[in-house]
Amino acid sequence: MIEVKDLVRQFKSGDRTIKPVNGVSFELGKGTLASIVGKSGSGKSTLLSLLGALDKPTSGDVIVDGVSLAALPDTKLTEYRRRDIGFVFQQFNLIPNLSAVDNVMLPMEFAGVRKAARSARAKELLEQVQLDPEKHGRRINRLSGGEQQRVAIARALANEPKLILADEPTGNLDEQTGEHIIALLSSLSRDHNTTILVVTHDRSLANKADRRFRLQQGRLSEEASRQRVAAPAS
Amino acid sequence: MSVLARSVGNAFRNKIRTAAVVAVLTVAIGLALAMLVANQAVGAKVQELNASVGTVLTVNPAGGQGFEGGGEPLTAEQAAKAATVPNVTSVVGTKALRMRTETTTASGTSGTTQTQGGPGGGPGGQAATAVTTNLTAAVDAGTLGNRNNTSNGTGNGATGNAAGPNGTANQTQPAFSLPITATGIEAEVDSTGKALNITSGTGLGDYKAVSGKALLGTTLAEKNKLSVGSTFTINGQTFTVAGTFDAGTAFGNNAVYLTLADAQKLANLPDELSTMIVTVNSMENVDSAKTALQAALGSDKADVTQGQRNLETAVSSLNSVKGISLVAFIAALATAGLIILLIMVMLVRERRREIGVLKAIGAPNRTIGLQFVLEALVLATLGSVVGAVVASFASGSIASALISTNTTTTAGTGQRGAGGFPGGGAGFPGGGPFGGAQQLLTSVTASVSPEILAAGVAAVFGVAIIGALVPALLTARIRPIEVLRGE
Repeated sequence: MIEVKDLVRQFKSGDRTIKPVNGVSFELGKGTLASIVGKSGSGKSTLLSLLGALDKPTSGDVIVDGVSLAALPDTKLTEYRRRDIGFVFQQFNLIPNLSAVDNVMLPMEFAGVRKAARSARAKELLEQVQLDPEKHGRRINRLSGGEQQRVAIARALANEPKLILADEPTGNLDEQTGEHIIALLSSLSRDHNTTILVVTHDRSLANKADRRFRLQQGRLSEEASRQRVAAPAS
Repeated sequence: MSVLARSVGNAFRNKIRTAAVVAVLTVAIGLALAMLVANQAVGAKVQELNASVGTVLTVNPAGGQGFEGGGEPLTAEQAAKAATVPNVTSVVGTKALRMRTETTTASGTSGTTQTQGGPGGGPGGQAATAVTTNLTAAVDAGTLGNRNNTSNGTGNGATGNAAGPNGTANQTQPAFSLPITATGIEAEVDSTGKALNITSGTGLGDYKAVSGKALLGTTLAEKNKLSVGSTFTINGQTFTVAGTFDAGTAFGNNAVYLTLADAQKLANLPDELSTMIVTVNSMENVDSAKTALQAALGSDKADVTQGQRNLETAVSSLNSVKGISLVAFIAALATAGLIILLIMVMLVRERRREIGVLKAIGAPNRTIGLQFVLEALVLATLGSVVGAVVASFASGSIASALISTNTTTTAGTGQRGAGGFPGGGAGFPGGGPFGGAQQLLTSVTASVSPEILAAGVAAVFGVAIIGALVPALLTARIRPIEVLRGE
C-alpha cells in the first residue's frame, strides 16, 4: 500500500518559487496499474522522483506499507530503492558495457543475493519479459530499443519491488513496441501483484491503466477508473 | 558479475584510452621502481661501507706498509694499547707472510736466505716474512709481474740468484713465480678488515690459537686442486684447508689466511704484528680516534692511515645519490598517484549518469566507490607489471647515470688510489687498502630483487588507492535525481 500525503516540492528559480508538485495526495493498493498524464513540465517526473526516494519533498510524506520515507536517513532510502522500488526510464538507463543478464542481476547483487540465485532469476525474468534467450548474454548496445526496455523492466522486477515507477516507458519506442511494453507492465502487475505507476503523456497508453491521474500545475486529479482488461504481453 | 569483474570490464571499456593511461602510468611507475631499486642498491652499499670500511683505521709500523719500507714491527702490546683508545671497538692484528713455492726457491738456495730480510732480496720489509710452500701461485707474473720483479728485485729471481752464496752468475734463470700472500688474522676478516666471504667449508674457529688450518682463495685452491679437507705445507708444516673464500679479485684470491698464532709461529716471531686493523664505532669518530691512536702509539712507532679518506667522499656521493633517488622515487610515485587521481576524476565525471542510475536502483555509495577504486587498481596493476619490466631493464643504467653525475669529483680522487703492491697487476693502492672511491661506486649493482619490487608495487598500490579514493568519494556526492533529471 502506497500512501501519498499532501506532497509538496518547490524550487527557487531566481526570485520565483516553482512548485512542480503542490499538495499531491493519493493512495494506491497492491497490484494496481496506475497512470499519470500531464503536459511537459507539469511535474510528473518530479512526483515520480519523490515516490522513488530519488528526491526529498519540501513537505508532505510518502508512506510505503506504513513506513514514512520522510523519517528515513539516506542509507535507508537507498535500501528502500533497492528493495521496494523498481525504476523503468524513458531512456532505459541500462549499463551499456554489461550484458542483458548482468544488467538484471545488478539490483540483486546490491541486495546481497548469491550469484547462482541471481543468475537464475535474471534469466527467468528475461524470459518473462519475452527477451529472446539468445540475446540474454548480449551487450545492451546490441539490443533494439524495445528489447532494451524489456531488459529495463526485468531489472525493475529483480528484487520483487512493491512499486514500479515507469517514467515515459514508451517515449522512445514506436507505437507497436509501446503497446507491447504497456501490455507487459499490465500483465506483470497482475501476475506479480506489483503496484505500477506509469507516467506518460500518451493518452492511449494511460487509458489502459486501472486508475488514471492527471497532473496539472503540480496538482493531481483522478480521472474515472476503468475495469482492467487483460492483454497479451507480446 | 561481481564488483571486481565489473571494475575490470570498466577498465577496458575504452581500450585506446586504457592503453594510453597504462603507458603513462608505466613511465611513472617504472621510474618509481627504478629509483627504488637504485636507492636500495646505493643504501646497501653505503651500509656496507659504513659497517666495514668507513670506520676502519689501519696501523702500520712507522715507515713501513705491507711488504714495503722499514721501521720496527708492531707488537701485541701496542695492539692492547690501541684497544684502550676511546671509540675503538676492535683491534685485529695481522701477520703477513710472503710465500714462495718450494720448486722456485730450490733452484737457488740463496733466495730463501735473501728474501728473509736480506737487502738484496727486494723489499723484504720488516713487516713481512718469507716462507716456502708447496702451493703454486694462481696468478701468472705476466708483463707487470716480471717488470716489477726486474725493477725491485722481489723474491729470488735474477737478483737473488746472483747474490746467493751458492748461485752463479751464469746460472739459468728460473721462471719467475709470483709470491703468495699468507696473512695471519685474529678475526674472520681480510687484510683490509672486511669480513671474509667464505664460499666453502668453515672459518678457522679460534683465530687467536694455533690451529694448523687455513683458508684459501678460490682461484688458489683451484690452481692447486685443493678443496676443504685437503692439505698443503708452509715451511714444511702441514696445514688443512678449512675453507675457501672469494675476495672478489684475482689478486685477492691468490692468498691464504691462517690464524695469527699460526703465522707468528711460522715466522718464529711471536707477538709481532704486520698491521693492526682498528675499527672505530662510527664514521663521525674516525678522525678523533685516528688522532688519539696516533698519539697513543707514537708517531715514530706507528703510522695510522685512514683507509676511507676517499671513501668518505664516496659515501657522501652515494648518500647524495641515495637522497636524489629517494626524492625521485617519491616524485614518480606521486606522479603515478596524480595520474590515477585525474583519470579517475575524469571517469567519474564521464559516468555521472551511470552512477546516478546505479544509485537509483539501490547501489550503496561504498559499492560504487569500491568499483572505482578497483578500476584504478586494475590500471595500476597493468602499469606496475609493465613498469616492473621497464625498471628491471632500466634500473641499472639509471643508477649508473645518477652515480656518474654525482661523482665527477670523486672519480678524480679515486684514481690516485691505483697502483701499489708489486704483483700481477692488482695490489694495495697507495692511498690505503682500498681501491678508491670510483671503484667502489662503480661496484654498486642495482639488481631488481622480488622484495624491492614487492615493496615498490605495494607503494604504488597505496598511492593508487589514495588517488582513487578522492574520485570514489566524489561519487557519493552525486545525487541520482540531478543526473536523471535530463530524462
